[in-house]
Amino acid sequence: MSLAAEAFVSQIAAAEPWPENAALYQPLKDDQILLSDHASSLAVQAYLRMCNLPVQVACRANAEYMSPSGKVPFIHVGNQVVSELGPIVQFIKAKGHSLSDGLGEVQKAEMKAYMELVNNMLLTAELYIQWCDENTAKEITRPRFSSPYTWPLNHVLAYQKQWEVRRKMKAIGWAGKTLDQVYEDVSQCCQALSQRLGTQPYFFNKQPTELDALVFGHLFTILTTQLTSDELGEKVKNYSNLLSFCRRIEQNYFEDHDKDSITSSTSRLSKGSSLM
Amino acid sequence: MATPMELSCWGGDWGLPSIHTESLIVMAYAKFSGAELKIQTIDWTWKTLTGTVPALNLEDAIVTKPVHIVNYLRKQKYNVDYDLTAKQGADTLAYIALLEEKLHPALLHTFWVDAENYSNVTRPWFASRTPFPLNFYLPCRQSSAALNRILLTKGEPPLHSITEVEAKIYSDAKECLNLLSHRLGTSQYFFGNKPTSLDAFVFGFLAPLHKAHLPSGQLQQHLKQLPSLAHFCDNIISTYFIQNGLGSSPAGQDTVDANLQKLTQLVNKESNLIEKMDDNLRSSPQHRVRRSTNSNTSLVAEESSSSTPA
Repeated sequence: MSLAAEAFVSQIAAAEPWPENAALYQPLKDDQILLSDHASSLAVQAYLRMCNLPVQVACRANAEYMSPSGKVPFIHVGNQVVSELGPIVQFIKAKGHSLSDGLGEVQKAEMKAYMELVNNMLLTAELYIQWCDENTAKEITRPRFSSPYTWPLNHVLAYQKQWEVRRKMKAIGWAGKTLDQVYEDVSQCCQALSQRLGTQPYFFNKQPTELDALVFGHLFTILTTQLTSDELGEKVKNYSNLLSFCRRIEQNYFEDHDKDSITSSTSRLSKGSSLM
Repeated sequence: MATPMELSCWGGDWGLPSIHTESLIVMAYAKFSGAELKIQTIDWTWKTLTGTVPALNLEDAIVTKPVHIVNYLRKQKYNVDYDLTAKQGADTLAYIALLEEKLHPALLHTFWVDAENYSNVTRPWFASRTPFPLNFYLPCRQSSAALNRILLTKGEPPLHSITEVEAKIYSDAKECLNLLSHRLGTSQYFFGNKPTSLDAFVFGFLAPLHKAHLPSGQLQQHLKQLPSLAHFCDNIISTYFIQNGLGSSPAGQDTVDANLQKLTQLVNKESNLIEKMDDNLRSSPQHRVRRSTNSNTSLVAEESSSSTPA
């Protein structure tokens, strides 16, 4: 959003408390949603649960088009629509709930740096694997992305999205990478996260922050989604503290609420729905 | 150790060995680790069109991209990250990602897309160092590549116009500079007293911004208000890049420089505050004085100028 619009929205946001009928929109869970979108959506859901804010998850085939920035997920709160984790965190902060207020300046800098690391490496790697690797794109991504549409719209939309993502990869220099190099990058990123986490329960010791939500969203999705090869999941499984981190957040924030949101999404694709 | 490796990169100006960010990163890392690199500038050759810089030329392979070159040097035992803990190593990766995401688009914009800077500074510089007829074509290609990259990565709806994208990327970049400044604090390098690869990356990104004479540089103004980062750049330049010919070890100079830097920092902070208060009344002798490059004379001048309001 432009800066003036952002300030305006924050002012309006601060005026009202969180309503009961807030909704989070994402693409269809069983057939349409892709790895990267599911990761982002799960990150936002985790963050909302950590803040104790109730939200209904609504699945729509055209969620991407409804979103103000073209990205999913987005939340519909009161009469405002906000998309993507960054703006949502700011929006919730304007309403008075924040998980990172207790951090010092240097820690906030670290948190932002690690969030950029996850976005830069994990999210880009997910996009690359889905759209630039021809096998995965043909067998999984394109059929899923275009499943709600009839011929010939499904072909047109799928190829259009693929062209867009490939263009973006070329602009940031990822087009020249091989799949092995991408897996290597994912491994490095997981190693950095694992070293930062160490033996602590959350990244900034006792309390979860938006970084924990983001990391959980991506790692959980990677671990529980089946692609053409299992190598991505294997890279993450090498780090046991990351596995127990995901397990812990799942147990604390997702298992006591409805089981549908997580377990149905895991069982639809993966052979074993548990993390181990 | 073995035959010195050859690095091809863009040439230097404005007191820097190279004005190209990625080449600077590699050069700084090489200086920190003591690796000997033979610098081969590609100015005035046709390599400007086809070569990707920086590129490390070895006997059997060519390594491009700063990250890969740094990894290669690490494997050749030129490793300055040896003393870092695992957590600090992870922090390095994270901060580099932060620089790439938040600071790089704004730097690209400042140098390549902003009309005044591009036509007054960047294009003449690059055009004067490429052979005819490339000098008409090459800067335009780089500029459109930069614009493309900014729009594709940052220009999603609802940011429909380039001015809104600009506002967003500059505010992100300023935030990133503030975060770096907080992280650096008053220490000389990011992790203790010895420079590491993170210092090389930060230096590579900040030094051109710090040293170039840009007609419209809001990011440059912002950087000038963060004295710790400005001193960080100056320190590295004076420690590692000016003793080139002398070949003396920078270690002894470091401690002296460190004390001087701390003092200048304190004095600068004081004079900054005073200047802000008396902005209307004072004319600019403090400005002219502070820009002198020799740290000694600047220190003396600072003291004399800051003692006057007392």
